[in-house]
Amino acid sequence: MRAPWGLLGSYALVVLVLVTLNFWLPRALPGQPIETLSDPRSETFVADASTRGELQRYYGLDEPLAAQYARYMQDLATGDLGTSIRYHAPVSDVLGGRIGWTLLLVATALVVGTAIGMLAGVHSGWRRGRAADRRLVALFLALDNLPSFFLASVAAYLLAVRLGWFPLYGARTPFAESSGALHALLDVAHHLALPAMVLALQFVTFQYLVMRASMVGELGSDYLLLGRAKGLSDRVLKYRYAARNALLPAVTVATLHIPLAVTAAIFVETVFAYPGVGRLLFEAVGDRDYPLMQGCFLVLSIAVVAANLLADLLYRRLDPRTAA
Amino acid sequence: MSARRPTVLWIGAGIVGCFVLVAALAPLLAPHDPRAISGASFQPPSARHPLGTNDSGQDILSQLIWGARSSLIVAASAAGLAVGFGALVGAAAGSARGVVDVVTMRVIDVALAVPALPLLIVIVAFAGPSRATVIVVIALAGWPAIARIVRSQTLSLARRGYVHAARGFGARAPYVIRRHLLPAVGPLVAASFVYWAATAVTLQAGLAFLGLSDPTEVSWGAVLNRALEHQSVYLTSQWTWWVLPPGLAITLAAVGLAFVGFGLEPRSNPRWERT
Repeated sequence: MRAPWGLLGSYALVVLVLVTLNFWLPRALPGQPIETLSDPRSETFVADASTRGELQRYYGLDEPLAAQYARYMQDLATGDLGTSIRYHAPVSDVLGGRIGWTLLLVATALVVGTAIGMLAGVHSGWRRGRAADRRLVALFLALDNLPSFFLASVAAYLLAVRLGWFPLYGARTPFAESSGALHALLDVAHHLALPAMVLALQFVTFQYLVMRASMVGELGSDYLLLGRAKGLSDRVLKYRYAARNALLPAVTVATLHIPLAVTAAIFVETVFAYPGVGRLLFEAVGDRDYPLMQGCFLVLSIAVVAANLLADLLYRRLDPRTAA
Repeated sequence: MSARRPTVLWIGAGIVGCFVLVAALAPLLAPHDPRAISGASFQPPSARHPLGTNDSGQDILSQLIWGARSSLIVAASAAGLAVGFGALVGAAAGSARGVVDVVTMRVIDVALAVPALPLLIVIVAFAGPSRATVIVVIALAGWPAIARIVRSQTLSLARRGYVHAARGFGARAPYVIRRHLLPAVGPLVAASFVYWAATAVTLQAGLAFLGLSDPTEVSWGAVLNRALEHQSVYLTSQWTWWVLPPGLAITLAAVGLAFVGFGLEPRSNPRWERT
């Protein structure tokens, strides 16, 4: 297969645009948000002198713009994202402690959402037009229209508070006595279940519709008729034969969900106080912790772009016609 | 499917019509000034306060009624801006062709690849969360997709006989755009407008939910933001009258607009043919 230089080039351009926006936005927008950090009359004044010094050095606003940009790129290349005002620590360190939780949440949600969407799609497509199919279509379309922050709050109220099945917020029980690794693992899984479920429901509809359509496309096939003539059970025909053939489009669709999941994670993590990058972005906005906010922006948006690139490359591998 | 489309359109129009009515009559319908302290804080629903009061004693129902106004104004302005700019760019790129078209499409591709929500959050945080900023920022997220649709429509229209004839008689590009292209892409633009308004309702509420709204503005997202700041909202029945109603209002408004958009979508739209 030909190396996809054009594809890589256009993604590199998008990353360059993102990195430049991250540099340019705080300097271009009215109100000089960064300058007010060292203005004692402003409400966002940073009282701590060493942090203020760090900020002035990092943004370097008294230099010409080109020099600021060159220095910003240099810092970025060495992983220096400035100093967080609230945490008095390098932004890269603060982010490092949070990325793992977001990865765990998004990965779990992707696996769960893909599985639910595929199973429901197989079921629905197999019984196309029947009452069960129509009910599932209506249910998934309704789910698709609920804003993620509202769905998260409904789930928190019903499943965590009313029924008490899951903890309401956080990723671990605070100050828990350490009673073995297994116990700690179960605790993490217990906290993860609800946010991951809500996040999964954000993209399950698309997966479901694709799987359903793909399943419907298999229904009239000769191999199913032959299988039925041989006396194979409905179950074997449905899962071993039709579903297996209907899987390819659904697999490629799964990768398209990563950007959506990362974006919805900002809301879901915020509602459940889940300590990932999305919640960190929400906190940084509230604290006017600009360097931290910019760090979260870079991490989240570059993750989305990287996921898109991965999906594109995977798609070429699975369906070589698209590479031509 | 085509038999059901008018039904969907009318249901959607009914929902949106109700919200427009509530928004227009807000001063008459709201029992209290939404910003005034009209009772004790955390009051459960009563005759005086049908949905109770919030942490500072403001009437929640009145906030929801005035919130409809805020939501619809932001949705209409953001969608109008996004569709207007998007249609203009799309029509210009499609009829200019050549280098202009290539460069514009490149810009649109990059804009579509940039994840919207984190960028919106950062822009609003730096620029300050005034209503105007929120409108512009939501429009900013919407125009590339609309420009792309309009461009492809323009390209296919430009090959039609009557456009060739107009050009043959010496018509310039602005005339062709105004006289032939804009009327032809009109239905598509109308559907895009309503769809983007639905997205704008959710986006505005989402930004306000994250705390990115004008502190003086009464909106559904801001009610949610305020309510969920109190972890105690889950532990009492407060949740059912402080969180559930604004959440349902946002959902219902977005669904109503999406229904109208679906009902208005012209048959030529490939999106519809797939469904």
